[in-house]
Amino acid sequence: MEILKISLSDFLAHVNKKIQAGDSKQVGVVPKGSHFVFGELDEAAQLCLDYDVTILPPKKYFQPQREVLVKYAPKDASSYAMVNDCENLTLIGVHPYDLVAIHLMDRAFSEGERDENYMAKRDCSVLIGLYPTRGFEHRFSASMIDPQMPYKVADLMLIKLDDNQLALEVVSKKGKAYLEGAAVAKSDLSEAFLAQARNKVKDSQAFPLGPDKSPAYFKEKYEHPVWEKLGEKCYSCGSCVFVCPTCYCFDVRDEVELSLASGERVRYWDGCMIESFAICAGDHNFRKERGARFRHRVFRKTVTLPEKYQVMGCVGCGRCAQACTADIAGPMKVIKTMKEMN
Amino acid sequence: MSAKPKVAFFDFACCEGCQLQIANLEEDILGLLGLVDLVEFREVMTGTAPEYDIAFIEGSITRKADEERLKDIRNRAKILVAYGQCAVTGGINKLKNLHSDMMEVRKIVYKDKAAMEHLDTYPTRAVGDVVKVDLIIPGCPINKDEFVSIVKQLALGKIPRIPDYPVCVECKLKENVCRYDEGEICLGPIARAGCGAICPSNGVACDACRGTVSNPNKQAMHEVLAKYNLTVDEIIGKINIFAVDPEVSK
Ligand code: SF4
Ligand code: SF4
Ligand code: SF4
Ligand code: SF4
Ligand code: SF4
Repeated sequence: MEILKISLSDFLAHVNKKIQAGDSKQVGVVPKGSHFVFGELDEAAQLCLDYDVTILPPKKYFQPQREVLVKYAPKDASSYAMVNDCENLTLIGVHPYDLVAIHLMDRAFSEGERDENYMAKRDCSVLIGLYPTRGFEHRFSASMIDPQMPYKVADLMLIKLDDNQLALEVVSKKGKAYLEGAAVAKSDLSEAFLAQARNKVKDSQAFPLGPDKSPAYFKEKYEHPVWEKLGEKCYSCGSCVFVCPTCYCFDVRDEVELSLASGERVRYWDGCMIESFAICAGDHNFRKERGARFRHRVFRKTVTLPEKYQVMGCVGCGRCAQACTADIAGPMKVIKTMKEMN
Repeated sequence: MSAKPKVAFFDFACCEGCQLQIANLEEDILGLLGLVDLVEFREVMTGTAPEYDIAFIEGSITRKADEERLKDIRNRAKILVAYGQCAVTGGINKLKNLHSDMMEVRKIVYKDKAAMEHLDTYPTRAVGDVVKVDLIIPGCPINKDEFVSIVKQLALGKIPRIPDYPVCVECKLKENVCRYDEGEICLGPIARAGCGAICPSNGVACDACRGTVSNPNKQAMHEVLAKYNLTVDEIIGKINIFAVDPEVSK
C-alpha cells in the first residue's frame, strides 16, 4: 500500500477543486448543533476532521431514508419502470467502524438477492476513511472490529499526524484517481510511527466477546431475565436501529397520486424495535413483547450476523447507547446488566 | 367502493381549525372531489344528505344534545372517522376536566357572564367515548397530507393505516439533535408520529399534540423523568395540553 503525506491546507484545497469541478458530490462531517452529521460540503473549510461520532451513519447515502424504487400508472401493467437514481459521491472522514459497517451492508445487499439500488450507489462512491482523533464515551469499536477490515471498502485512509499534516494510505485505484493533481509527497514515516498515529484515542470500554464466542454465549442466554428487565424500559421508538450503521431493514409502500393516475413504490427505513414492524397477515404481530424485540435486536448483532459472516454484527460505534432516551440500548449496557443479574 | 363514496363533515366543540386545513387543501381539493362525492360540509357548502359512506367528525362532545346528534350521524354512516385531537382524545377541550365543578370552569373563563345558558356543558368526551369510531386522524390541527392519504386509501378500498410508532422515528430519520441531549424533556418517545417530527426538527421538544401511540411505555417515561429529577406532576401541564392519555399521567 502506497503511503503519502499532504498538508491539511493542501488537502482542503484539493477538496475545493473537487467541489468546483462538480463531477462528484463531496460529503464530509459537519457540525449540527452540539453534534455532527455527514453533509454535502459547499466548501472544504466546512469539513471537520476531528469529531466524536455522527448522529446517523453514512448508510443514509446508500440506503436513503426514503427511496423511490418503481414508478407506475396503476391501471397499466406495462408502465412499471424501475427507478435507480444515483450520483457520484465522495465521503470524507469515515471512521474505521463505519467502514466495517459499510462492508457488512455491502455483503447483505449483494449476496443472494442483489439489491441494485444499493449497489449502484455504492459503485458511484469514493470512501475516504479517517482514524479518529477524538474519543466518544460510548465507543467500544476497538474490541469489535478487525483493524484490517476497513481497508476492504476504503479507497483512501487519512491519518491525522498533527494539526497541519495528514498521512494518506492509498488503498484502491479509485483512491489513487481521487488524488490526481493533489500536492502529495512520498511519506518517510516509519510503520511504528504510523501505527501510533492510527491509535491516538483509546476506547474506555471493551466488549468481552468476539465473533467466535459471542453466538454460543448469547444463545445460552436466550431465556435470561435481562431481556424482559431491559425491554420493560423500552419505548419501541426505533432510535437504536435507525442510528445503527449495520441495520438495514426497510418497509416498502405503494404511494398513489390523488388522481390515481400515477404511483410510486417507495422504501422507507424500518426496524425490528418498532412495535408495528412485525405485524403481518392482517393484524398478527409475531414479536409482540418489548423484551422479545429487545432480544431480537441484540441477537442480530451478537448471534445471527457473527454466525453468517464470522464478524460481529455490531461495530461498537456507540450510537445506539447515545440515542436511546431510556438508556438501555447499548450492547455494553446489555452485557453489564446481564452480569450484574447473575 | 365502485361509485364515488358519499362523504360528509360535521363539527362539535372545536375551533374548526381542522376543517380549515381541509378547506385549505387548494389544488388537492379538486383531486379529492374527483374521488368522493361531498354531500355535507358546513364550512364550504350548504345541503344535507340522508346517509353517508364516510362521516368525518371534528370536535369533542360536551352536551347531551351533541350526543344525540352524533348518535344520529353514526346510525346513518357506514364509516365514521374522528379527525383532529378534539375528536380523537378530547384535545385541548379536556383541560376543563381537570376541574370537578363545571360552573367553576365557566367562572374562570367567562367571569360575570358565566351563567349564560349556552355555556351549560358537561365534562369533555372524545367522539369515541360516545359512539364507535372506525378510524382516527390525530393532530391539533390535523396534517393535510395525512388527511389526503387516508381519503385516498378509503377511496381505494384499503384499510387506512396511520403511524403507530413514536415521533422519535421521524425525528431520527431527519437526523435531529435529540432534545434530551440538550437537557430538555421531550414527549417524542410516547407521542404518535405522522407530523414528520416537525417540532424537534425546529429545535423544540414534542408536546404529543397527536396523542400517544396505542401502547405507550408510560413506565419508561416515568423512569426517564425520575432520571432528570422530575416527576410526572412537574410536567403534567405539558402532558395535559393535548390530553395525551390520562394513563400516562397516572
Ligand atoms: S448496535 Fe449500537 S454500538 Fe453496535 S453498531 Fe449498532 S449502533 Fe453501533
Ligand atoms: S437489528 Fe433489527 S432493524 Fe437492525 S437489521 Fe437487524 S432486524 Fe433489522
Ligand atoms: S432506542 Fe432505546 S427505547 Fe428506543 S427502541 Fe431502542 S432500546 Fe427501545
Ligand atoms: S428529540 Fe424527542 S422525538 Fe426526537 S429523538 Fe429525541 S426524544 Fe425522540
Ligand atoms: S407536538 Fe409532537 S406530535 Fe405534535 S407536531 Fe410537534 S412533534 Fe409532532
